[in-house]
Amino acid sequence: MNAVTKLRDPTPEAAAVQRARKSASADLAGKTVGLLDIGKMRGSEYIDRLEVLLQARGIRTRRYAKPTNTRTAPIPILQAVATECDAVIIALSDCGSCTSCSTHDLNDLDLRGTPGVSVLTTEFRDAFANQCRAIGYAGASVFVPHPMQNRTTAELHAFAEASVEEILRGI
Amino acid sequence: MSRADGILAFVKRECETCALVHPLLARLRAAGMPIRAVVQDEPGHFEDLAPLDDTALEETFRHDIETVPTLVRVEAGIETGRVVGWQRDEWRSFLGDDGIGEGMPAWQPGCGSKSREPGVHERLLVRYGDAGLASREIEVGEWDDPMEACFERGWTDGLPVVPPTDERILRMLAGTRRRPHEIVGRVPPNLAECTVEKVAINAVMAGCKPEYMPVVLAALEAALEPIFTMHGLLCTTCFSGPVIVVNGPIAKRIGMNWGINALGQGNRANATIGRALQLIVRNVGGGVPGELDRATLGGPGKYTFCFAEDETDPTWQPLSVARGIAPGRSAVTLFQGDGIQGFIDQRSRTPEEITRSLSMGLAAVGHPKLCQFTNAMLVLCAEHYAIYRNAGWDRARITKELHAALVRPGADLVQGAKGVGEGIDPKRADEAVPKFWEEGLLIVRAGGQAGLFSAILAGWTGGRFRHESQPVTREIVE
Repeated sequence: MNAVTKLRDPTPEAAAVQRARKSASADLAGKTVGLLDIGKMRGSEYIDRLEVLLQARGIRTRRYAKPTNTRTAPIPILQAVATECDAVIIALSDCGSCTSCSTHDLNDLDLRGTPGVSVLTTEFRDAFANQCRAIGYAGASVFVPHPMQNRTTAELHAFAEASVEEILRGI
Repeated sequence: MSRADGILAFVKRECETCALVHPLLARLRAAGMPIRAVVQDEPGHFEDLAPLDDTALEETFRHDIETVPTLVRVEAGIETGRVVGWQRDEWRSFLGDDGIGEGMPAWQPGCGSKSREPGVHERLLVRYGDAGLASREIEVGEWDDPMEACFERGWTDGLPVVPPTDERILRMLAGTRRRPHEIVGRVPPNLAECTVEKVAINAVMAGCKPEYMPVVLAALEAALEPIFTMHGLLCTTCFSGPVIVVNGPIAKRIGMNWGINALGQGNRANATIGRALQLIVRNVGGGVPGELDRATLGGPGKYTFCFAEDETDPTWQPLSVARGIAPGRSAVTLFQGDGIQGFIDQRSRTPEEITRSLSMGLAAVGHPKLCQFTNAMLVLCAEHYAIYRNAGWDRARITKELHAALVRPGADLVQGAKGVGEGIDPKRADEAVPKFWEEGLLIVRAGGQAGLFSAILAGWTGGRFRHESQPVTREIVE
């Protein structure tokens, strides 16, 4: 990424460059977790299974869907998540543009007071880290195997089963 | 760019002296002298001087050119001499030719180099030199908005800040003679060391001009004096924040407002000096609302609260002078204050009347039944002061009479009296109780010439500890 502007830190530099993310309460049972589908194909199948797994743990869920993965979420969706949920899971990013946009969404919701985790495929580990660095935000992420587009539904469900505990720890 | 030996002639087309010497330089070059033009604006205009395009001003910066034309002799890659402007005798000596310049004036000053236009030098220093700044660099991505980056990093008070780039910081540092790495003090609540450079960064963000720097630095130093109790003031659940009053010649020099709407919006110096102090407390000290700033309600003055005193009436002794600063010197006074309680009196005609009237307003500070619990600042408007001035009352007399008018029977003020639980210690029921400590009422003159509307600024409850928390006045060192 080309940095075109360099600013100087106005703080005493006692903290990391990146703003720490917010943490949700330790126990999400009885709380509401938003499931924000970024709109990539097959992502909803992963989220379907994740929703079942969360509900089985006593966590309430609400589904949201972005109209496109290639832009940041419309403000009304972000406002709805921030108003209606205690935490958010954003899934499932498996490309460059959706990684960048979903990281901004994660940051935006964090600034609104709603902590969350982004689920991405392993190929975009660096892209997520770079985007976090650029916006100064220590975002939380969980990675599932790449690629995902050519998987069976059963395989996507297995990804959800394998990642749910890490996601809950991440929140 | 070539640093070949020879004579570099730094010129620009728009300079009349460059136009004067251009034909001479061309004749000398045609005669074999190794002269090349280094052109700051239109290289094509100097085709007969084998021009080097220096529109980016890099060569100009590296040779530290202040004036055009300047001739620089380079030998073995090193400068060995220069002449500035057109001075016939100097040019003859420099070029070793006593015949040049016949028919030309003996002397004509040059023009300013383009590198010396406002703000350009700092830009060149960042681009080609060493900015010499110690603070951590924060990179903003190509597609990201620097203003949004400042918001996202939590560096703002909720309003946009000016992104602190090196150029802006260097310009701000030019507003003080103090060195960037000098430590001004430790800023609460985190007691973090604050350098002059950090002050400059936050002053940039607040929107200050470099000439405000001495005021910002003095305000910060005043805030950091232990007796000001900035730590408690920041963390308090009360409304208060630092109110800055500026006295002396610097106020007029930097364009501060003491007239119409002096306590309001619209003046850059008033608005940004107060804001800079608040941003330093937030960004350096870590005083973030909701974290260590625990104000129940806070107040709009916590964005910024800074104004100058009206010193145009020679009958009025300035606040700074009353507080020990020599007349004619500039100073800041920091007061731990809340927002404005308007005081309206359009009927009083005599100093005795207006004093009784003002004392009713002042008695309400904090709570009508609390005494010696907070300090107060009275901002006296022109028309109210005129009543006093016409009767020959000066600052000392007004202060004395207000204190006298604010002594009330303890029986009316003790806890429970008049059916109100709040109040003073029941043991004082038989005393005549002053509202404020003797030094606890500060009077300032400000405001437009029209309007019988003064303002009362309640002080912070920390003021009840008379010897532990007090306003601070400090001279501004330029």
